[in-house]
Amino acid sequence: MNSKIQRSLAVMSAAALVFGVATTSTTSAQAAPKKLYIAYQGPLSGGEASTGIDEINAVKYAVKLFNAANKAKFNVQVVAVDDQGDPAVASTVAPGTGSNKKIIGLVGPAYSGATIASLPYYKAGGLALISPSATRVSLTDPKSPDFGGPVFHRVVATDDKQGPALAKYATSKVNSPKVFVFDDQSAYAVPLRGYVEAAMKTMSGTTLVGGDSVPNTTTDFAPTLAKIKTSGANVVIYTGYYSQAAVFVKQLRDSGSTAIFAGGDGVFNQQFSVLAGASAEGSRLTGVAGLADVGAKQEAAFKKSMGISSGVYAVESFDAANIFLAGIKAGITDRAKMLKWVTAFKGTGIGGATLSFNANGDIAVGGFSGFTVTSGLLKNTGPVK
Amino acid sequence: MKIRNYWNLRDFGASMWEKSNRPQRIAIAIGSIFLVGLLPFAGASFLATPIAAYDAVLVYPVGVFVLMALGLNIVVGKSGMLDLGYVAFFAIGAYTMALMGTHTGLNTWEIMPFGIAFSMLAGVLLGLPTLRLRGDYLAIVTLGFGEIVRLIALNSSWTKGPNGIANIPMPPDIGPLKFKLEDQKVFFWVVVTMILLVIWMIRRLSIRRPGRAWESIRQDEDAAELMGVPTLKYKIWSFTLGAAVGGAAGVLYASKNLFIAPEMFTLNVSILILSCVVFGGIGNIWGVVVGATILGYLPDRIRFISDARLLVFGLVLVVVMNFRPDGLLPRKKREKAILKREVSV
Amino acid sequence: MFAVLIDQFWSLTIAGVALGFIYVLISLGYTMVYGVLRMINFANSEIFMWGTFGTVITNRDIFHYTQLSDPAKGWKLALVLISALLMSMFVAALTAVFVEFVAYRRLRAKGTNRLATLISAIGISIALQEVMRLLTASRPVGSPRVLEKIILTEVWGANIRLDTVITIIAAAIIYFLLERFIKLSRMGKAIRAVSQNEDAAKLMGVNLNRVITMTFLVGGLATGAAGFFYVTVFEYTKFNIGFTMGLAAFTAAVLGGIGNIRGAFLGGLSLGLLETYASAVLGTQWKAVTVFIVLVSVLLFKPNGLFGEAVQQTRA
Repeated sequence: MNSKIQRSLAVMSAAALVFGVATTSTTSAQAAPKKLYIAYQGPLSGGEASTGIDEINAVKYAVKLFNAANKAKFNVQVVAVDDQGDPAVASTVAPGTGSNKKIIGLVGPAYSGATIASLPYYKAGGLALISPSATRVSLTDPKSPDFGGPVFHRVVATDDKQGPALAKYATSKVNSPKVFVFDDQSAYAVPLRGYVEAAMKTMSGTTLVGGDSVPNTTTDFAPTLAKIKTSGANVVIYTGYYSQAAVFVKQLRDSGSTAIFAGGDGVFNQQFSVLAGASAEGSRLTGVAGLADVGAKQEAAFKKSMGISSGVYAVESFDAANIFLAGIKAGITDRAKMLKWVTAFKGTGIGGATLSFNANGDIAVGGFSGFTVTSGLLKNTGPVK
Repeated sequence: MKIRNYWNLRDFGASMWEKSNRPQRIAIAIGSIFLVGLLPFAGASFLATPIAAYDAVLVYPVGVFVLMALGLNIVVGKSGMLDLGYVAFFAIGAYTMALMGTHTGLNTWEIMPFGIAFSMLAGVLLGLPTLRLRGDYLAIVTLGFGEIVRLIALNSSWTKGPNGIANIPMPPDIGPLKFKLEDQKVFFWVVVTMILLVIWMIRRLSIRRPGRAWESIRQDEDAAELMGVPTLKYKIWSFTLGAAVGGAAGVLYASKNLFIAPEMFTLNVSILILSCVVFGGIGNIWGVVVGATILGYLPDRIRFISDARLLVFGLVLVVVMNFRPDGLLPRKKREKAILKREVSV
Repeated sequence: MFAVLIDQFWSLTIAGVALGFIYVLISLGYTMVYGVLRMINFANSEIFMWGTFGTVITNRDIFHYTQLSDPAKGWKLALVLISALLMSMFVAALTAVFVEFVAYRRLRAKGTNRLATLISAIGISIALQEVMRLLTASRPVGSPRVLEKIILTEVWGANIRLDTVITIIAAAIIYFLLERFIKLSRMGKAIRAVSQNEDAAKLMGVNLNRVITMTFLVGGLATGAAGFFYVTVFEYTKFNIGFTMGLAAFTAAVLGGIGNIRGAFLGGLSLGLLETYASAVLGTQWKAVTVFIVLVSVLLFKPNGLFGEAVQQTRA
């Protein structure tokens, strides 16, 4: 259904384009809207495609709203750069995108590994990047070989900030918490687990009783559940993504466990409670304050426009696209100016959060908020202190 | 059915080659190499790849795939063993480059022998116990080996786990030829040189003792053994040579990509390389080159259909295999007849 | 290290057996085709994945269960479960026959080399996966809870859950029926005849095309049943789940001796237990490594798997 709608939209916009060109060629007196390109890079095919499709839909939505509001002046197009989430593919698409000067800004890359593989080309091309989901700490660490400055920016908070927040929120108001932490072996979850565990060690009264690392295609969590039972944990933290978290939390509840389940911003998604149903109740998740609070109204508008509900990192992708679009509105048409614009940008995201970047490209956020799943909805319980 | 001969590129090429005398052959060879060397300059033609940079695509996937497919062809095509874990040797080469490149002061060319040696060592270690197995049992064991190498890289701290290794040094300049990220022509020429070396090696071996031994093993292993061919020894040789080529490709790839992570070395790569070999024409060097070129190039050429790209790729495999089961450029008829009778691959 | 295994031995064992039975059914898909064609049916993993959607569609779109609705009870429960099982088997069998028709038939008629067929099967499995990805917008799909997961009783510290019991019993029945079918029915005999000697079977008047289609169909039915149990237990599916499960089931088939139906049974159960124990002892990240090391060791001593045929037969 969705792809049908997308296709018909594509046909319509293509038709509109042809029509537009035709009219301008006959009546050249009328100024054509300025055609500009921004790109999105992430996994759009293959096994990781769910993340990328969700993100690019949000980017397309932002651009659609922008084009509709500025019909006379601008016609912004989104170039889809599919890296399959694979650093190997990223290093073949990045050189092309980096040298295509028509593209003046890029939302993404979605994954940290792909980002590192792409960075040399974007640095050489001076293309401003705003990633909605690459969370690896080293990307904005000037001392690291992975450092992405000056081109790399992100509107998602990093693991080292989230780790302590997640550790605190998961164990808050629990008497002598015994914690079990596990990851999905991905480049997102493993470092985050490291920061969660490091934070645990500094918290008095909290003990780390066990851990596991499960391949990200696992659906049978019996061995992990056995470990949790043996360890006597009363708090279980998963640092991976929502789809597996939903499968896991169901099995956790079915096994008769009443331990608290907690997850990071990879789990923080409405789809988590949709997939897990009643088992998700009471789960504690952390997400970025403000960015996370998007109302039902925006969601309905999104669904109406794109034909599908918003997905992972939708808010981040939307905000990232809007930073570029604001630049375009301010009259920017080249990369160098766009990079300056992004670096100096100060604005407000759709959720009301302040969007601005520090010198290393990290978003300047107030901190993380805690969310508890209550009657199937993610309820904000305020910032984690 | 004479008309079909015009379409038979292999016979056309072969007859042209056979009719020529030595100076003409040298001229043809140098001319073709020169033309291939000019390929990176054809970026503005119909060959151009949307989104991906044309010269980068020529290096990876195309060049690296051709190199690896040639290496795998020694194992699958020449001696008839089904190897589904070829990516392991690629990974070992790449990790050798990454670890030595970031920890020692050695450059790419100095690390290359190490990468090849480690891959060969892995080939021998895996081959000794397992090459007694036949057909599909060998397939699953090699498949498992490929996964084990990836999982060790993913779960060990010395390989930096899922984070991968960044800042791998680029190769040092060769005289006036400078390796650059924005312009990968030099990388392409290096890959082409390596491909030519491998082709030369395979051709030399094919007409000598090892080639004949592989051929006999491929046709009937029991008969070969009875005729006094030390089959295990030659099977290990073929496996190890294949491994060496995979390792060399890995070293070069890591040094070109500057970053590697375990997720690059999945089973899919092994399957893709095997597809290149079979798609082009198993056992025939030029077929393999053509197959790998097309399968490496196609997904990037058809990026304009974005969403359904892999779907089209899968369908192309089905359609081409159905209509040209021996590949685009099959090996000679005499060998093919034998292949049909084969029971275990 | 072994504390978890000792402490939770029985719950791990039960979980391992339940998982093992799902593997048994999927590996039947591999082993049946292998027995007849001497070819790895690479697309079986995607046949399984399509099969899982049969159950999701039945639960969600035919009986209109949602994530919020109460699980079914009594006769309604039996009706929904059986319809879902049949639907999954139907979808998977249909997919399997489609795969045979598109990827195998023409090549087999030509009598070409087996690698071409393997690549053709790989191509169709890529296509099947991508079609499902496009249909589901790349999203994971949850299945509503139809079967309530009641803990029936506790034995030696292990919870015996309703869904586990149903999976083990029903899967065992399906396996048993299929085995009888192959052993006793006319078609089963024809399948076995072809797998022993294709030419002789043809001479004896066996319709080869029909037998091969039937083999894919039966393999698809078993694989589809596995899809039903998978969704009923995990209440989740996604376009990319086939790969992992297929690889495991294929390993199980080889472990037991590919081409052999009892081999698939033993291989599936051993693999389920092995994976579960290995994850508990060494950590889930080393599961696959352990499995492959065990597989290689078994093959070194028994080169044709635990129940494999003798070498002469394989090469006949």
